[in-house]
Parts: sequence; C-alpha cells; structure tokens
Amino acid sequence: MTRLPRKLRRVVATAALGTLGGAVLLFLAVPVLSVIPMSFSSSMVFELIPRDPGLNQYRRFFSSPEWMAVLGRSFQVALGTTVVATTMGTLAALGLRRLRGPRRAVLEALLIAPRIVPSIVLAVALYFVFSQAGLVGTISGLVLAHSVLAFPFVVVLVGSALQSLDPSLEEASRSLGGNPPRTFLRVTLPQIRLAVLGSALFAFNVSFDEVVVTLFISGVRTKTLPVKVWDAILYEITPILPAISTVIIVASVLLLTPLLLARRSP
Amino acid sequence: MRRAARSRLSTALLLAPPLAFLIVLFALPLGRVLQGSVFAPAFTLDHYARMWTVPVYGRVFWITLKISLLTTLCCVLLGYLAAYFLASVRPRTRQVLLLCVIVPFFLSVLVRNYIWMILLQKTGLLNQALGRLGLIHTPLDLMYNETGVLIAMVNMLLPYMIFPVLSSLLAIPPELRQASASLGGGSLRTFWRVTLPLSLPGLAAGGLLVFIVALGFFITPALLGGPKQMMISNLIEFSVRQVLNWPFAFALANTLLMGTLLLYFGYIRLLGGRMPRTGFP
Repeated sequence: MTRLPRKLRRVVATAALGTLGGAVLLFLAVPVLSVIPMSFSSSMVFELIPRDPGLNQYRRFFSSPEWMAVLGRSFQVALGTTVVATTMGTLAALGLRRLRGPRRAVLEALLIAPRIVPSIVLAVALYFVFSQAGLVGTISGLVLAHSVLAFPFVVVLVGSALQSLDPSLEEASRSLGGNPPRTFLRVTLPQIRLAVLGSALFAFNVSFDEVVVTLFISGVRTKTLPVKVWDAILYEITPILPAISTVIIVASVLLLTPLLLARRSP
Repeated sequence: MRRAARSRLSTALLLAPPLAFLIVLFALPLGRVLQGSVFAPAFTLDHYARMWTVPVYGRVFWITLKISLLTTLCCVLLGYLAAYFLASVRPRTRQVLLLCVIVPFFLSVLVRNYIWMILLQKTGLLNQALGRLGLIHTPLDLMYNETGVLIAMVNMLLPYMIFPVLSSLLAIPPELRQASASLGGGSLRTFWRVTLPLSLPGLAAGGLLVFIVALGFFITPALLGGPKQMMISNLIEFSVRQVLNWPFAFALANTLLMGTLLLYFGYIRLLGGRMPRTGFP
C-alpha cells in the first residue's frame, strides 16, 4: 500500500471531519428548519415546500376562540411563574452566597434538585398533593408547579452573577452607613440586574413549554397551549399544528435572543 | 458579636421563603410518593415486588434501560464527532455553528417531537424524499417503533453531550498536540494518545448525563414509540391516569427517582465534586 503524501492525507481527514461533523449539526437543526416552511402550506397533505403558500393556518389559529383561550391562559400562567420563580430564586441565591462550607453544598444541592428529578415523578407527586388541596385545574396550581420547575434556573443564573461580584463595593456601602435593604437596592441589584432579567425570561420559557406536569394537574378546564397541542397531536392531526409550532418557536427565539446576545458579550 | 448575629438573622430571612416554598411544593410531595409506595395503608413492599414478578413490568424496565443505553451510545459517537469538528474550526465560525446546538436546545420539547412525527411518518417528508429519489419503493416504518424513538431522543439529547466534550477539548493546550507531532506522532496517533485521553472526562460526564435524562423520557416514547416502546415514565402515567393504581405508580416513581439520584451523585463525583454552575446542566 502506498502512503499518501502527508499534506493530502491532512486535507482528506479535514474534509471527512467537516462533512461528518457538519452532518451531525445539520441533524440538530433539521426540526427547526423544516417546520417553518411547512406552516405556510395550505393543503391537508404535509409538504416541505408548499405548492400554494399562504397564511391560512395562521389565520385559522388566531381566529379560533378555543386556541386563543389556551394561548391567553398559557401567558397568564407563564407571567405568574416568572414572578414567583424569579423572586424565590433570587432570594435563594442571595442567601446562599452568605453561607460557606458543607452547609452551603447541601443547600445548593437541595435548591437545584427540582431540575434533576424526572418530571414524571414530580407530576405524580404534585398531582396527588394538589388533588387533596383542591389545586388541580386551577391557575394558581399551575403557577406553583411551574415555579418549582423554573426555580433552579434562576438560582443558577443569578448565583453565578453574584459570584463574579466585587464584595468590596457592598462593604463600602455598609461602612458609609447604608442599611442592608438600601445596599441591596442601590449597589447589589444594579450589578445583577441583567442576570435577574435573563432568568425571568428563562422562567417564562420553562412555564410556556411545560407539558408533563401540566398534563396531570391542568384538568379539563385549565388546559395550557402545550397541553392542547398534545391533545391535538394524539387525537386530531391537523395542518394547523405546524403554524402553532412555528408560533411557539418564534416566541421562544424572541424570548431567548437577549440571553444569547448577553452570553456572547461578556 | 451583635453584627454576626444580625448577619445570621438576615441570611435566615433571605432563605426562609424559598426553603418553605421548596419544602411544601417539592420535598413534601416527594415524601408522599415514598410514603404512599410502602404504606397502603399498612406497611408493604408488594408494589415493589410487582415490578419484578409481573413479566410485563419487568419488560418495561428492560426496554427503558435498552433505549437509554442505545441513545447514550449514539450520542457518544455523534456528539464526539460534532464536538471535535467544532473544536477544530476558528472561534468565530464556532460561535455561529454553535447556534445549531444552542437554539434547538431551548425550543419546546413537544414541538420538536411533533416535527419528528411529521418527518418520520409513513407519508412523511423523509419517506417522500427517499421515494422520489428512487431509493425505496415501499415507505419505511420509521415511527411507532424503536427507530423513531431513538432518532428523536438522540436529536434531543445530543447537546447534553456536545457541551461538556467541547469544553474539555478546548481546554487541551494546543502545545501538547504540537509536541506530539514534532516528536513524530501522526495525526491519528496524536488523537489516540493525547486528545482522546484528555477529553475522556468530558465524554464520561456527557454520557452519564445523557443516560440519566434518557431514563426519565416521557414525551418521545409516548408520541414516536409503539406499545412495545413503553418506558418507565409512560407506565407511571398509565398507572395513574388509566388504571388509577396509585401505590404501584408511587413505587415506580420512587424507583425511577432513586435510580436517577444515585446516578446523579456519580455524575457530581465525575465533575470533581462541583455542582454544575453554568446555565447548561
């Protein structure tokens, strides 16, 4: 066997790596790329490239009182979740920062735990407790459940912003006579403002997309958008779904673009 | 002295609301699951025994492990490939290409599963395309079976693999590879002796994380799988919502929870005892 010249082998290896690696990245992007053109189709058969493109599906979605009701409810629940989870998570991150040693490690593990527990386990647990407390099928029940799920993201995001904070600024404020609430509002909060805002967006997104727990505790009367989509997928495949999927995707992208931009510019 | 006491008091005041919130809405409900699985109403382990003695349920456990392991294997191979490629391009190109990984990661899991249903069904886009190219004459069965579940699960879990591998690859000092090359190591040899061993911790962490998350998957097997792809999560839902067998559902949920937590402790140890601090797991 003759050995190829070193340079040629390198070119071949780079091309192969680029093709295979690029293929994996394309595989990741496929779902997002394919749904958007599909949503402009007006026929009952799914087409990637619509023969007769139009806004029919969007029109049908936005003029359906049923879909608009669940969309409105999803917004309501997501806004409630944003307030509860961001408040609780920020308080937790602020308290956590004041602890040291093993106590901190244990508490941190507990605070992040809702993200590790499989959602089906939490769904069953909350369904059981909520049905005894009369919270199944209520907006407040949904807000509370979603807040548990969104909480760890807030703790992590705000916590890492607090970690990079310079403590001498707060000490300066205190030694100049600022009481703790004043120091927090005038010195700490302005510095972690972006992280708090980002985690609020994150919390909104978590709630707006939640399916598994909501499936259990929403009941018949308080279905959210994802639960209604779930029902539609299982029981009535309709061409309106790609349009709704696109709306959900666009909403998430709009929500998360500020986060991605903030991530890039340190 | 007074200052220390006041500082401790304000720490307690800060932590009290979130802790109360988590105890009432998280710890206590999970405690009820544990309690309900062994007291029904007198102490019994029957519901746990049923998981192993009834063959149908034993099968669900086996399927869950099998699908999770296969998903992990695919993610290890494809994820390493993608991460290696991303590590080899220029930083600016990497930032752009990383969007392919980051953006889908944040998008609705339900929507992504639904899109795979459209792509993989009998009259779906993949079959249409293959038919038009003349590669197949009868549509392939890509959905309501293991193939469909695996494709969608790998698609959804790859980012969990790519992020840790990429960061361990980027942490390797380029001088090491140059040293290997200047000492006469070919590029393949350099990969096996230098790059791969140094990126192994990232690979192991990513693989374990993919496996942990895969064990609890619910939406994908429900939408893209058939009756034979029922995983533990789906059996739990079935027990609660269809047959109303709460104690059995509790026993299943508790088993899944304990397995997940045990593996997660392993994952933390793998990371050297640090909790993952970034926005990504």
